[in-house]
Amino acid sequence: MTHAAGTRVQEHIGDPVSDQPAVPRAKLEEIFKDIQSDLRFDHELKGCLNCGICTATCPAAHYYDFSPREIVQLLWTENLEGIYDAMQEKIWACAQCYTCAARCPFGNSPGGLIMLMRETAIKHELESAKAVLRPFSRVMLKLISTGNQLAPDMITPEHFPDWGPNVSKIDAPLKLLRKAIPMPTLNTTATAWEVNLKTSVELYTIWEETGVLKQLEGIDRNLFDVIADVMDEKREDWKDFLADQEDEQKDH
Amino acid sequence: MLKDIKLTSVNANEGERFTGHGAEWRDAKLSSEDARIATSWVELKIDKRSMLTNKDRVEDVRDIMWQLEKDGEIVVHRVSDEHQPVMVKTLYGWDKKIPTRRLWHHKSCGQCGNIPGYPASLLWLMNRLGIEYLDETDQTSCTAWNYHGSGIGNLESLAAVFLRNFHQAYVAAKAQGLPDGYYFPLVHCGTSFGNYKEVRGYLLRSAKLRESVRKILGKLGRLVDGKLLIPEEVVHYSEWMHVMRDRIAAMREIDCSHVRATIHPACHVYKMVPEDAIYDDTILGGNRLAVTTSTMQALGAQVIDYSTWYDCCGFGFRHIISEREFTRSFAIDRKIRVAVEEARADVMIGHDTGCITTLDKNQWISKAGGKGVELSVLADCQFAALVCGAHPYKIVQSHWHASPTETLMEKLGIDWQAKKAEFVSYLDEVKAGKQENLYDPRRMITSGPGFIPIAARQ
Repeated sequence: MTHAAGTRVQEHIGDPVSDQPAVPRAKLEEIFKDIQSDLRFDHELKGCLNCGICTATCPAAHYYDFSPREIVQLLWTENLEGIYDAMQEKIWACAQCYTCAARCPFGNSPGGLIMLMRETAIKHELESAKAVLRPFSRVMLKLISTGNQLAPDMITPEHFPDWGPNVSKIDAPLKLLRKAIPMPTLNTTATAWEVNLKTSVELYTIWEETGVLKQLEGIDRNLFDVIADVMDEKREDWKDFLADQEDEQKDH
Repeated sequence: MLKDIKLTSVNANEGERFTGHGAEWRDAKLSSEDARIATSWVELKIDKRSMLTNKDRVEDVRDIMWQLEKDGEIVVHRVSDEHQPVMVKTLYGWDKKIPTRRLWHHKSCGQCGNIPGYPASLLWLMNRLGIEYLDETDQTSCTAWNYHGSGIGNLESLAAVFLRNFHQAYVAAKAQGLPDGYYFPLVHCGTSFGNYKEVRGYLLRSAKLRESVRKILGKLGRLVDGKLLIPEEVVHYSEWMHVMRDRIAAMREIDCSHVRATIHPACHVYKMVPEDAIYDDTILGGNRLAVTTSTMQALGAQVIDYSTWYDCCGFGFRHIISEREFTRSFAIDRKIRVAVEEARADVMIGHDTGCITTLDKNQWISKAGGKGVELSVLADCQFAALVCGAHPYKIVQSHWHASPTETLMEKLGIDWQAKKAEFVSYLDEVKAGKQENLYDPRRMITSGPGFIPIAARQ
């Protein structure tokens, strides 16, 4: 149990009655530096007079203990403890509608700043981020392995019981209903549209080169392993295709 | 002042001012002074275009774009005369070129996966208008739904995906033996549209970002003469609908002048990079986003105002998956219930993927609270296709909608039960491999496995 109650503001952030170890000052500084060093930071934070227009118009503020004004103030005043605290839960309340950005008289983008904080929460593999994102893993699996974020086979009554019985008003197999869509690219069930193999392979290069796979590995190791297998398989298919092409050309 | 606002429309409500109360509206005949007092009060209460423009004027990133091209750093994919562009005005009165033909469909994963009648209706309208387009398999999602929901991804990955997909749009026509730049990309999803515009801005402003993605695009073989390719405009399909609205309205077969429509404008269409959103002095007095309202007015429907017009739908990206109580509460209480009880709407019309899904699918659960509320929800292009005579199931694919689209069809005089029976019979033909398509399926693969070169096709 920590006894850092008196030093919380100066040295640490931590709950004095919790068994959780306090977060060292250096870690708080590192986290803030990561947020601040993003090239979007200065573009999205220009100043704040605490007017609260952003919070007044914020949909998430209606339902959660969340205020975009508070987030902007924490960043503007470089309140490292408060920033870390907000990154545990509050940043995940934002609905990313950017109403705050459209309204802010200073031209700040609280919604954009939230994204920098979410990225940083993932980079630092915060347990809170892992917990929050667990139910979102289906979307990440689909996107990173196929290039599509949503597919027809994800929309089932089992996954969305609160959507009621009318999710499909015609009683027919999903595959048949998909074939009846008059766009041939859409006659699929596992992806929203048929994705060219070359497209997927190109996307994998983007994931690798931009550090997205590393982010994923840090946040969900099991999901990363599954996706890595899918990627290997598709890359093999692509190599085989290229080899076949070469053989064909030789034959001609 | 309110009395000075003149609505000019080409629809059946000719001469009616935009009042938000529909056909039964009558002029209150206030004196000038009373009108001034009333208007001042309303202006204090209702946000207007000034909320977006009453701050430091932002730069037009297209100025940077032209300079970078002049400096030999990027290549700009132009909206050329062959794309038959129509010029529109954006928030600050800037010009934006909207291409009307030779379009490359940048599909939306949420629309294609969940509301397939959305893109199908758009393509059907284009077929009716004789618009040339390409719908192909070589494209990814914009990845922004995942990014905004999870924080997995970053500016570099979003930029690389943007440039990759738009490069493919630039070169796609080669598969048909046509030149580079033949097709211009048309973005279907509102989130993709907002994300791509934001990313374009950062790419143009940051040499560091350009340099890092240039290396990635180089590895992919996605540079033009060793340079990044940037589109002259990022164009949303609702903008295409906006500039084509009179031509679409000319094809209308079903009278919809008695339909009370509420509009849900998508946040990522007009709150993200607002300087690029279309405003038109003849649509809602130029005070709000023009697209979709303009289309509905052109088609002759009554567009009804409601007090939560500016609110988001509740989608929240992550929330629709894992904070469902927020999503459904917001969708029901802040949008659908207000549209039904305050505006007495027959339909809510949107122009984005997440919004249509959220508003359409989250109505059934409202019964659980003992205050059930129902309203038909469609995209603008689906409504347009419907009143232009498209089949409600084969084309508009209304069976994927959970909301009561049947009620709207009845109001439009469409015998939906007969149409549904036709579609169920049609499924037997589909089973036998005789489905009807909007275009030749051989065109959808432009390279890689399954590609059939033009010569081989002939």
